Amino acid sequence: MAIRNGTRAGLIFGFIMVFLILIGVPETINVILQEATTNIDVETGQVINTAAFLFVMGVVAGFAAARKEEPDPLSGAVLSGLIAGLITGATTGLMIIILRSLALSEIDLREYLDKLSPTAIESLALRLSPILAGGAHVLIFALSGATGGLLNWIGRGPWRGPVGQMISNTRDRLARLPIVAQAQNSPITRYVVWAAVIAVVMIVPQFLNDYWSFVLGTVGIYVIMGLGLNIVVGMAGLLDLGNVAFFAVGAYTVGLLTAPEPVGVLWDFWTALIFGIVLAGLAGVILGVPVLRLRGDYLAIVTLGLGEIIRILIRSDLLKDFTGGPRGVRDISGPSLFGLEIGSERTFLYFILVGIFLLIFVTIRLKNSRVGRAWIAMREDETVAQAMGINTLNYKLLAFGMGAAFAGLGGVLFASRNQFTGPEDHTLLVSINVLAVVIVGGMNSIPGVILGAFALKGLPEILRQLDEYRVLVFGGLLVVMMILRPEGLWPSQRTRLQFSDEDEPVPIELSSATSAAPTPIKADVEEQKQAATR
Amino acid sequence: MRQVLSVDSIHTFYGNIHALQGISLEVNEGEIVTLIGGNGAGKSTTLNTICGVVHAREGQVVFEGEDITTLPSHDIVLKGITQSPEGRRIFARLSVLENLTLGAYTRRDRAEFKRNLELVFELFPRLKERQTQFGGTLSGGEQQMLAIGRAMMAQPRLLLLDEPSMGLAPILVQEIFTIIDRLNREGTTILLVEQNAQIALSISDRGYVLQAGQIVLTGSGQELLTNPMVREAYLGEL
Repeated sequence: MAIRNGTRAGLIFGFIMVFLILIGVPETINVILQEATTNIDVETGQVINTAAFLFVMGVVAGFAAARKEEPDPLSGAVLSGLIAGLITGATTGLMIIILRSLALSEIDLREYLDKLSPTAIESLALRLSPILAGGAHVLIFALSGATGGLLNWIGRGPWRGPVGQMISNTRDRLARLPIVAQAQNSPITRYVVWAAVIAVVMIVPQFLNDYWSFVLGTVGIYVIMGLGLNIVVGMAGLLDLGNVAFFAVGAYTVGLLTAPEPVGVLWDFWTALIFGIVLAGLAGVILGVPVLRLRGDYLAIVTLGLGEIIRILIRSDLLKDFTGGPRGVRDISGPSLFGLEIGSERTFLYFILVGIFLLIFVTIRLKNSRVGRAWIAMREDETVAQAMGINTLNYKLLAFGMGAAFAGLGGVLFASRNQFTGPEDHTLLVSINVLAVVIVGGMNSIPGVILGAFALKGLPEILRQLDEYRVLVFGGLLVVMMILRPEGLWPSQRTRLQFSDEDEPVPIELSSATSAAPTPIKADVEEQKQAATR
Repeated sequence: MRQVLSVDSIHTFYGNIHALQGISLEVNEGEIVTLIGGNGAGKSTTLNTICGVVHAREGQVVFEGEDITTLPSHDIVLKGITQSPEGRRIFARLSVLENLTLGAYTRRDRAEFKRNLELVFELFPRLKERQTQFGGTLSGGEQQMLAIGRAMMAQPRLLLLDEPSMGLAPILVQEIFTIIDRLNREGTTILLVEQNAQIALSISDRGYVLQAGQIVLTGSGQELLTNPMVREAYLGEL
C-alpha cells in the first residue's frame, strides 16, 4: 500500500512541480520572500527561500501520500511519504540537472519559456553544480516527504485515541460549567464577539499601504455584491446572471449625478449614493416583474441577456449624450464626511468596511425573519411554498430588488473610488465573478461570501507576480478548491450536511427558520436533545 | 348542516386538454368527503382548482359564501383552505420543525402557533421525536404524517388531502386513516382524494366518483361501498 500510495502522490506532485517550475512559481515566491526579509543577503536568501519552498511542497506531497494509509503502524505513513518525496525529488532533480547544465553552457532558455531566466535556474539549483543540485532536490524532497507522512500520522493517529478522548471530555466539561453555559446563551457574548471582530477589522487597514488598501477595497466591493447575490441565489434560489446590470445602474447613477460631464448636475455624493441604491433596487423590481415568472435555467438565460443589454445601452450612440458612450464618465466625486474629503485608499477602505458591516447586519436579520423563511421555502419547492400561503411573486421581487440594491451600492462605491466608470467596467465577467464569489465561498453563508471574495479578488492580486501565468494558476487553484471543497470554502451548516454522505438521520442545529419561532418551542427542542443524549 | 364549500360546474383546462368537464360538489361542515376515480379522472385537478393552483375557466368555487374561483393560492390559504399535496412534497432539506413552521406561515400569532404545534405533536408523537431531523430522512409514513401535520399548522377550516395512502405499506395506510378519522371527529372538515377506495369510503360521510373529468356517481360512503359499479371498477370485484 505504502509503495502504491507513495508512487502515485510522487508522480502527481512531480508533475505539479515541473509545471510550477516552468511557469516560474519558485522564483516568484523567492522574490516575494526576499522583499519580506530584508536583512539577509540576496544569495543566501535565494538558497534558503528555494529550499524552504521545495521543503513545503515535499511536506504537502508526503502528507497527501499518507492520507490513505492505515493509522497503524507509523512506518506505513512515513514510508509512503518518503517514497512520494523520493519520486517528486527525482523528477525535479532530473529536470534541474538538465536545466542547470544547459544554463551553465550559456544557452538562454528564455527563448522557449520566458520564466526560465538564468537567475531563476540558479536559485532553483540552490547555486550548486548540476549533479549536486539534483541530489539536493532528491534529499530535500525525501526528508520533507517523510516529514509530511509523519505529520499526517500525528494528525490522525494519537488524536483519535486517548488524547482526542481527553480533549472532547474537557470540552464537554467546560461546556457544562454554569458560567460557560450562561455565556453561551447570553446575548452579551454575541455582542462582545461582534465588537471584537469589528475592532480587529477596523485596525487592520492601519497596517496596509495604499496598494493593499486598494486591493482590499476591491475585495470589499465584491463582498457587498456577493452578499446581495447571495440573497437572490443562496436564499431565494433564483439563478441570476445579470447582477452587473444593477452594478452599472449604481455606478452610472453616482457618475452622472456628481460628474461635471455629460449631465453636469454636480450633486452631493451622499445624495447620489442614496439615489444609486434606490434606483438599482427599483430597476431590480421593475426588470424582475416580467423576468421572474420564469423558473430555473430560463431565468438564468434571461438575466444574462439583461446584463448585456444594459452594457450595450450604455455604450450605444443612442444614449451617448446621457452616458458618455464608450468614453465613460470622468471625475466622479468621492464621499466627504463633515467637510473632510475621503480621498486616500485607506479612508475609502474604511468607508467600504462600514458598508459591509451594515449589510451583514441586514442579511442576518433577513435570514431569521418571516421573509427569510419564505425565501427558503420558495427555494426548496415553489409550488408548495405557494400552497403554504406564501405570495411567491412578491417575495421573488423582494429578493431580486434587495440583491439589486446591494449591487447598486457596490457600483456606487466602485465608480466613486475610481472616479471613473465606463462600459468596460460592466461586462458579463462581473456577474460571473460575483456568482463565483458566492459559489466558491459557500451558498447562503456570510463568512463564505467574504472568503469567496478574498479567493476570487484577493488571490489574483497576490498572484500578480506571476504575470501572464496568473490566470492559469488562478484557474487551477479554483479547480482544486472546488474539488477539495465542493460545498464551498465556508458552507452554511445546512449545505455542509447536504454534502455529507451520511445515510443516518442527521439531527441539525435549528437555524434560520426556527429561530423566529416562539421560545418555548426551543426549550422543547433542548429537552429532546438532552433526552437523546441520556 | 352548514355548507362549507360548494363547487359549481367547473371546467378546468391544461392548455387544450379539457381536464374537468363541469364538476359540481359540495362539502358540509364536519364532513369527510371522498373523491374516487381512476388515473387521470381529474381528482387532483379538482383539488388544485379549489385551492387555486390552477384556475377554472368556467364555473365557480364558493368557500363559506365567498367566491374564491380566481383568487391566487396564497390568498386561498388565508381564507382557511390548506392542501396536503399529492406525493407529500415535504421540504426534504429542512428540519421537521421548520417544515411545520412554514405550514403555519399565515398564522402570525405566536401563542396560536404553539398551540397548533402541540396539537400536531400530540397527533403525531413521532414527529415530535424527530423534529430536528431533515424532512428527507424520514420514512414514507412519517413524511405523510409531516405533510398532514404541516397542513394542519395553518389551522384550516377545510383540509384537502391528496392521496395520503400513496406508496405506503398497508399497516401505515391504516394508521394514517385512523388519524384522518380522528382529525375529522375533532372538528376538521376534510375533502379527500384517494385511490384506495375501500378504506377512504369506509371513513367518509359522502363520496363522489369521477370519470374522465365528470362526476358519474354520488352517495354516502356506505352506499358507494356497496354499489355494484363501484365494487367492480374501484374495489377490484367482478
